[in-house]
Amino acid sequence: MMIDTGTLRTSVRNGIEFIKKQRDVIDAEVFASWNEHITVRVNYTSDIPCNGIHEPKSTQGCGIALRVVFGSGKGIKVGLGNSANDITQRGIIDAFSKAKRNKIYDPDFLSLPVPIGEPVLQNYHDPETMEIDDETIVRLGWQGLKGVLEEYHQNRFSTSIIAGGDITIIRERMAIASTKGIDDFDESTILTANITSMVERENVKGSGWNTSTHVSRFRPEDAGRESAESAIKTIGGERISSGTYDVVFGRQPVADLCANILIPALSLSAVNASDTPFLGKLGQKVASEALTVYDDGTIKGAIGSKKISCEGIPTGKTSLIHHGFLTGFLANHYLAKKFDSRIASFIPRNGFRFEKGKRSYTQQPGISPTNIVIEGKEEISSRSLLSEINHGIYIGRIWYTYPINGLAAGDFTSTIIADSYVVKGGEIAHPLRPNTVRINSNIMDIIKNIIAISNDKRQTILWGNEEIVLAPEIAVQGVQLDSISGFIA
Amino acid sequence: MKNCRYADVRLGIHEVKYAHAENGKAKGMDEDASLSFGIRMLAGEMSAWGFYSQSIGGSEARPKSFGEILTLGVQKAYARAIANAHKKAEFKPFAPSLTEVTLARVNPCRDAIDSVFDEDPRAIPVKDILALCIKISGAMHSIGKDVRYAFLQVQTGIHREVFCSSEGACIDQAHALTQGTLAVVAQKAGGVPEVCHDYLGDLRGWEVLQGKNIYRQPLAEFAGMRTHETLELTEAEFLPATNEPVVVVTNPHFNALLVHEIIGHPTEADRALKLETAYAGRSWLLRDLQNNELGKQIASPLLNAYSDPSMNGYGHYKYDAEGTPAKRVNLIENGICKEFMNGREQAAILQHPPNGSMRATDPHSVPLVRMTNTVFAKGDKSPAEIIAEVKDGYFIVNHRIPSISESRENFRISAQKVYKVESGKITKLYRQGGITADSKDFLMNIDAVGSDFSVFPIPNCGKGQPMQIMRVGNGGPTLRSRAKLTGLRT
Repeated sequence: MMIDTGTLRTSVRNGIEFIKKQRDVIDAEVFASWNEHITVRVNYTSDIPCNGIHEPKSTQGCGIALRVVFGSGKGIKVGLGNSANDITQRGIIDAFSKAKRNKIYDPDFLSLPVPIGEPVLQNYHDPETMEIDDETIVRLGWQGLKGVLEEYHQNRFSTSIIAGGDITIIRERMAIASTKGIDDFDESTILTANITSMVERENVKGSGWNTSTHVSRFRPEDAGRESAESAIKTIGGERISSGTYDVVFGRQPVADLCANILIPALSLSAVNASDTPFLGKLGQKVASEALTVYDDGTIKGAIGSKKISCEGIPTGKTSLIHHGFLTGFLANHYLAKKFDSRIASFIPRNGFRFEKGKRSYTQQPGISPTNIVIEGKEEISSRSLLSEINHGIYIGRIWYTYPINGLAAGDFTSTIIADSYVVKGGEIAHPLRPNTVRINSNIMDIIKNIIAISNDKRQTILWGNEEIVLAPEIAVQGVQLDSISGFIA
Repeated sequence: MKNCRYADVRLGIHEVKYAHAENGKAKGMDEDASLSFGIRMLAGEMSAWGFYSQSIGGSEARPKSFGEILTLGVQKAYARAIANAHKKAEFKPFAPSLTEVTLARVNPCRDAIDSVFDEDPRAIPVKDILALCIKISGAMHSIGKDVRYAFLQVQTGIHREVFCSSEGACIDQAHALTQGTLAVVAQKAGGVPEVCHDYLGDLRGWEVLQGKNIYRQPLAEFAGMRTHETLELTEAEFLPATNEPVVVVTNPHFNALLVHEIIGHPTEADRALKLETAYAGRSWLLRDLQNNELGKQIASPLLNAYSDPSMNGYGHYKYDAEGTPAKRVNLIENGICKEFMNGREQAAILQHPPNGSMRATDPHSVPLVRMTNTVFAKGDKSPAEIIAEVKDGYFIVNHRIPSISESRENFRISAQKVYKVESGKITKLYRQGGITADSKDFLMNIDAVGSDFSVFPIPNCGKGQPMQIMRVGNGGPTLRSRAKLTGLRT
């Protein structure tokens, strides 16, 4: 059953009134949410019996969460409690009793968040998506597959085709109130199509994606078509030998490196665990002056945008790296307070309770990015980017990117699986054979060796990641690429 | 319901207590129960899947309310299946391989399986769990001034799930789960931090943390051991990478992740059938139904590997999430690729017998093919002998982080520790190294399989969309093969 923001607001306000009357309570925050995560999984294999669309499915959740600060002798204790699917007075009482039972003395907990500024975004969700029906959900999935098949059929490919991926729709509503004066709500809609397709006998794979906050502007068929076009373009790929190459990272690899290596290291969570190569480097030059990175949850039409965090703080722009200098870390209120006097001041704009992409009452506010934006000092066209490297590799999609020796070491590895080319004389020369090259590098070397950044950014999504990267293409010198999987050939 | 071919319902309740602490300071504790359900339905003339799930609040758990919610869920799952089936039929002329779903036949079972424990997780006060976390993380932090961060989380609980199908199955399964998770970061002044994450756990009660586990150590000892090792590594040299393969002996902890990545995943039938092409990847073992590695030599004749949910470990269960009785699946026999792990739908496509390998992280997630306790089988050589025979090589100890090629044909896996082996003796310790190889080359080059055998808990295997995090058991004996070293490039 869908719950509107008015009901959520009433619930959290009632919650605060109830808690104020309880003994030993110093402060409290009440958060309530209703979310639905809808997924339609694309699964087509031309040579193996298949479903086309595997299963339209959804998970729905609603509940209330409390953070309560209790007086305890000379100190304070903080307790967390939640109640599933019940945001009535009974749910509040249940959650409060859990918070009271679970209270602990954490010397690093200093206070609950206080109001900061005014939200930029208002009323940015799509009412049509909020009301979307099952038939439309299913149709959107088949539209994605239709885009793939039409493109392949037009190019006379009908066998050895694989199409996979998903159409995902997230509907979120939340409200928050606190004794510190926070009283706000948020409502957002996200639609993504992420499609990978292959002509398997040609050993080619292509990626396509489409994102929108409104169903009327959502084009899953474009994602399908793009994936097929890209796969067809890379037919006839060749291997390369191991060595150090100048490369252009396309948008998906830029997003992948950000999501799995760079941004986790630019969070106060990583600072707290002493597990980041940026520890102790605030204000220092850490990257090429060409590079600027920031998080911005206020970008209109971007699917990572939110009006407020799950702590009730208006989203905004948080500078992380500016012209190569380390300028900040993503923060929630808890860690911003903990590190406030030790390192610098941090605005806690990124305290979110994300769980599988949605805002969940079951989670404590951790630190999550919204829209990560990569900018260049002097951005150039994609074509000029190829000229910058002259000879090298255009890397269009990477996979399984991990900080292989831990975040702090900065080492990472990844394989190139699609959408990639050999560049000669500043031009695309021929495709690179997928699954034959492993990148072995270090993120600090990558960001130091950036030579140019393109001016064409695109919202880029990744499997299993919460954030969106507004990713350009980036040229980097001296990246170690190793030839692999010789036995497959 | 018209044209409803099949339906199943999974209803689950999780009762869990947990606490965590950092550097001897309390960070959180909770004890709670969650209830949720998932409905899977096959319907339509050209039958297709529909799924619906949600969590249930305490006030809705009364039979009348719950019955109403379940009925609404059934209607949603049915509507989705019908809409999906209509579209499938509409697309069939353009896409001839679209077919109605067929499930391999299994006998509907009715059974009840209790959780197993010596000490009931429900009887452990959550305050005691927090006190343990504070004590152990504090002890870890105080082992040396170079320990920068010590984290410990403990959870213990009972998980119960009821499965009922329209075919008449009714299975009530429960298991206990107790786990300790640690992270330690150590760093010499001006040096590169050394990081260790590890787990201790089993599908049992509180006794797991008191020593009834694969390490035969209480949690405090285990955490202390990992902290000392991490500190020791801050003094070690970085492992130089090699451009050519060298002799490597890999220990059972390292092989847990190796078998997970290069045997377990590529032998999951849904990957083999390309269902994970956009996400977790395909399998080099099956190009298509005619052209594949089944029945072919893919590893040394010394090597056997299997997946066995009847063994103890994180992958243990009696029935899978489709109600199929779990069974051992022989994945590799004497180096020959033999079988894939499957669910009923994949079994029907491959025309293999169903082997009960479908699992979901929780009832509100759709079941996927999942490895169970997937291991290299033990051999007949003592680990000491395997090392003693090495004139010039490396001993790769304990896994850290993997990166695997899309079809699992190549891997790079880092190790916690790497030792030089010279003339049969373990000598110098190196840090931040690991190995990389093409999977088939590594498997074919195995020339020794140890008589030791351990299965480790792997609690965080990601698959599916939305991604589900699953617990599995992985392990095996000591192995010897050839691989390139990864580490410092000069």
